Amino acid sequence: MKNIDAFSRPEEYISPFDRHFRRIIRKHLDEWVMPERRRYDEDWKDHRLIGPAFDRLMGGLGLQKALFPQEYGGWGMARSDYLFRLAYMLCEEVGRADTGMGVALTVTFWPLFVILTEPYVNMRLAKEFAPMFCNTQKAVFAANAMTEPQGGADIENLGLLGGRTIRTTARLDGDQWVINGHKLWPTNSGGVSKLFGVPCTTKPGSGDPMDFAFIYVPADLPGVTQGGAYEKAGMSADKNGDIWFEDVRVPSWYRAHGPGRDAEAFYQLISIGQVGSIAFLTGAMMNLYERLLEFVSTRTYNNRPLKENDAVAAVIGRIAGDIDICRILGHEAAMIGDRRNKPYGKPLISEDVVGRIRNIKDFVSDRAVDAFGKAMDVLGHHGPDRNWDIEKHWRDIKIIQLWMGGKQLCQMEAARYFFNCETL
Amino acid sequence: MNRNVDDLFPYPREWMDDECSDMVRLVRQWSDREIVSRRMEYRENYETLFDVKRRKLDIDIGLQKLLLPSDAGGLGWCDPGRAPGMLALASEIGRADASAGVLFASMCSTLALFSMEHNYRAALCDSISEMFSGDELKTAAVILPGAGHSGTCSPLFKGRSILAVLRGDMEPFTVSGEGLRPLFAGGMADLFCIVCAAKDGKPCIAIVPGNAGGVRRDSALLTTGLNACSNADIHLCGVEVSRENIIERDGAVEELYTWLNLLLGGVSTGAAINFFELLSDWSDSRVIKGRTTLKENPLCASVLADVAEEIALARLLLHDLSHIIAGPGGLAGSSAVRTFTFAEMIGSRAQQGVVRAMNRGLELMGSAGYAREWHVEKNWRDVKTIQSVLCGVGAEVPVKMDTARFFYNCTEV
Repeated sequence: MKNIDAFSRPEEYISPFDRHFRRIIRKHLDEWVMPERRRYDEDWKDHRLIGPAFDRLMGGLGLQKALFPQEYGGWGMARSDYLFRLAYMLCEEVGRADTGMGVALTVTFWPLFVILTEPYVNMRLAKEFAPMFCNTQKAVFAANAMTEPQGGADIENLGLLGGRTIRTTARLDGDQWVINGHKLWPTNSGGVSKLFGVPCTTKPGSGDPMDFAFIYVPADLPGVTQGGAYEKAGMSADKNGDIWFEDVRVPSWYRAHGPGRDAEAFYQLISIGQVGSIAFLTGAMMNLYERLLEFVSTRTYNNRPLKENDAVAAVIGRIAGDIDICRILGHEAAMIGDRRNKPYGKPLISEDVVGRIRNIKDFVSDRAVDAFGKAMDVLGHHGPDRNWDIEKHWRDIKIIQLWMGGKQLCQMEAARYFFNCETL
Repeated sequence: MNRNVDDLFPYPREWMDDECSDMVRLVRQWSDREIVSRRMEYRENYETLFDVKRRKLDIDIGLQKLLLPSDAGGLGWCDPGRAPGMLALASEIGRADASAGVLFASMCSTLALFSMEHNYRAALCDSISEMFSGDELKTAAVILPGAGHSGTCSPLFKGRSILAVLRGDMEPFTVSGEGLRPLFAGGMADLFCIVCAAKDGKPCIAIVPGNAGGVRRDSALLTTGLNACSNADIHLCGVEVSRENIIERDGAVEELYTWLNLLLGGVSTGAAINFFELLSDWSDSRVIKGRTTLKENPLCASVLADVAEEIALARLLLHDLSHIIAGPGGLAGSSAVRTFTFAEMIGSRAQQGVVRAMNRGLELMGSAGYAREWHVEKNWRDVKTIQSVLCGVGAEVPVKMDTARFFYNCTEV
């Protein structure tokens, strides 16, 4: 095999734009992120290194504009038939360098996805928020303030719970929403976001999707308080913290779509989020291959290169084989997403799409956790050494397995779909 | 957690005498009072408190001289029959902090090579006793064979490359080697226990003081876990050692691996028990789907069961190993190769088991699993570090080859 691009993917799925876009992104990351990434862990709090890297990637290259319509200064990618596949490519390339950076970048798209992708488009809000992201060379972050202290993964389990456990409230007062609540752990919290998408309930305790509201809240409004970033096992480029909303007032039209449609548009995020997660994983696994190839080619057991020992070859062969299979599956998941508005596709909010994509994410997560753990063992004394990069990915990809409801919710969504479970 | 982990994860206490049991109890108290009940304070002031707590363990309680002979001022645990007690101690320390545990394991594995009844070396014991029985904290670091470099042919220990070389026919002997990586604590070691190749390529062990002339250390490595055990690559340029510091007897290197597998297994199991305690609290207090306690959900319960099962089995296997070591001839004579093989198998299996337990347990804790605040992520990183380091090179392959050689008389693997 010549290089990481030889890992399989269904070529007929790939956008004509992919090759050029990928080359630009990879060159940028190789130049600006790869040389610094081993120092990111110690930069988790201040982002002295990470901040400028984001400015170059999101502001300089302009990635943060990608979803906005061209008429508002964006790239119009939300309208692309290749949206999921291009997102996959982007997440894979950034994930190869640093999955924490990948999630911080792409979660910025997450709340915007709710109002920018067909069939859930709100052009008034698009026009309202576009200047924030499109008229600057500095990185601008957005966040979905979803998880609540008592709720854990409940918010990602909207299909079953319908928002019944949400305690953040939205009350209409004249032409303003008044928001109160406490969220924690959103990617791009900890003080970095300029805009939050906030899932709220208009009727506490209700499991009726009509009572679910998705409301945009600029971070600098009175009543919004952000805590500092949490210290984590990895993913230092992604800041997470607490956010409190205390009688925060926003215009009534900052609600994404209205009763019923808010829940539908929001629920789409599960699928795009999972596709992005799979792409982070396969990107990190491709970098694993690069680093592992170097180690097993230059280091020996029994005075032969590790890769030439039959037993070691079986181990590393399985790792590379898993990467190959996972990449094919990842592109299939992206394709499921891109079929969403086609006659032969299914909506992102269908049990079919959610179940299948969650299933692929669960499978790829398991393979990634296994592959990175095994690769660290192949490196042995050098496995925990940050200079070999694999251990950092090992810490980061475990986080990917755990987020968005983690493995068990993936298993339940798959079971619900494949076995028509009714009570899980 | 309000349940006794010893009742939940039993082990054969009858294999320990009263002195062992008393010492284990004392270290449990240290663990509970000094660290487990003060996790937040310990975490937030880790760099300063680590040495403070370690001093209480090693100097005040006296573990630093545990394996030194009584007549040299030690506690006199100089009999392999103490192996079950040493394992229990490693586990208790690992439950508090795996970093302290691996320092204990490295020290005991080193001293056990020349302070035991069957391998007693008076001169070496005396010189090391001087170093370890004082009031200063001392650290031993072990350098094992591992990965070789393509294009060079290294002397081997069962397939693993020996990168340090012992030279000379008479005193002073010299030890040389470039870019040697200790298992842990190379940056802070006062004593190195180095597997070297003698003139004929035969493996031997050199005990080298950290301040010997010709010892150079690189800057500290950044590692996944065990962050208190600052590791660094070591370069030895013709370091002079006396004959008394060289251990050339057959089976010495196997014995080193045996102790490391036992004691590092204990450390990891101890860390896993602490992980279990934290997970247990979590599963008692968290509610899912707005109504069900986490542990009462059948899927979550099955994951919790996996965690407990792996830890319990690892602990039992390791105590079986300690019993093998403690048995007559366990470390000497014809049984030594069998003991080594079982140590490798059980050590590898136990490490895999506790890493799997933690990987599964983290699945249930979501973001709390990777938040530093909850501490489980530290246990997870520390244990993975121990597991990978103990592999040496090539994942489980070297252990599989050792096992195949013993059971099937393979001669070429």
